[in-house]
Amino acid sequence: MTEQEIIEKTNKVFEESFEIEKERLVPQAHIFTDLGLDSLDIVDLVVALQNSFGVKIRNEEGVRDIRTLQDIYQFISSIKNEDMKKST
Amino acid sequence: MMLDRLKLYIFNLYFYTLFILLSAIVISALTVFVTVLGLFFLPPRKTYKRFRRAISWYGKTIMAIPFPFIRIRYDRLEKEGKGPYIFVCNHRSAIDAFLIGALPNELVQIVNVWPFRIPVLGIYARFSGYLNIRMMPREEFMLKASQLISEGVSIVFFPEGTRSINKKMGSFHGAAFRLALASKASVVPLCISGTESILPKGSALLRPGLIRIRQMRAIPWDEYKQLTAFALKNRVWKILDQELSKMENMA
Repeated sequence: MTEQEIIEKTNKVFEESFEIEKERLVPQAHIFTDLGLDSLDIVDLVVALQNSFGVKIRNEEGVRDIRTLQDIYQFISSIKNEDMKKST
Repeated sequence: MMLDRLKLYIFNLYFYTLFILLSAIVISALTVFVTVLGLFFLPPRKTYKRFRRAISWYGKTIMAIPFPFIRIRYDRLEKEGKGPYIFVCNHRSAIDAFLIGALPNELVQIVNVWPFRIPVLGIYARFSGYLNIRMMPREEFMLKASQLISEGVSIVFFPEGTRSINKKMGSFHGAAFRLALASKASVVPLCISGTESILPKGSALLRPGLIRIRQMRAIPWDEYKQLTAFALKNRVWKILDQELSKMENMA
């Protein structure tokens, strides 16, 4: 999966599950202050990302460090890379 | 100008005198009434129901004092249905909590810390099951609120968490919407307009005017079950925002 595909799929999660307008979904957008999510919304976000990417997100520390959309792109990318390493 | 100010002071003197007198009489009478019913005639569930109804009547009585200087118009866009509902209201003034007495449902309000600290009324709020979302763990809050809904009691939220300082509605906290998704209760947006000029934030002086309460169509669980709490929260925010603009442009 390319970086661009991760970005597009992540943004789609925000558009569909959180109904956030496309134009607000920029990499530097802070998910709490700019997009308005709260700490409990992160649970819904994790579920939606798991469903969308078909991955299991267990790394709680990694999730806790997420602040911006860019952080999410990197976080998903690292999970995908780990999954690939495991399968090869 | 001077005369207007004097009239305002006389109006407030009239209101607050009657407010204190009626509060003393109505609260005492209702306490005796409900206690007698509870001790000798009714099971606990019905006693709570009467108690909550008594609080609604108290709210109605207080809001009737300044009539006709302050008038209340309550529109209900959907006549049928008894709930229980999760009412989601905008919040501009301290009198909003009293206005909730206009609703025909058995209900409890989700409140901040300060209502529990008001002498007598605080005890009433606690006894009737009002929940303080800031003083209890989230799990306990969800459990108690879901229990109330399962007993047929509607829950009233002011999800901005504080009064707005102008007509612009603040962003919402998510608790009301998480509770809705968990309890499957219908969500009812409730628009309150006019209170911001009658008792503005930071003032104790009541001013004459018209308060309009508009109860919007209930949104049943089937219509929102696919949404996240965040998406539901923003949809309800938009419904309230659009309707308030409509109401205020027409006024």
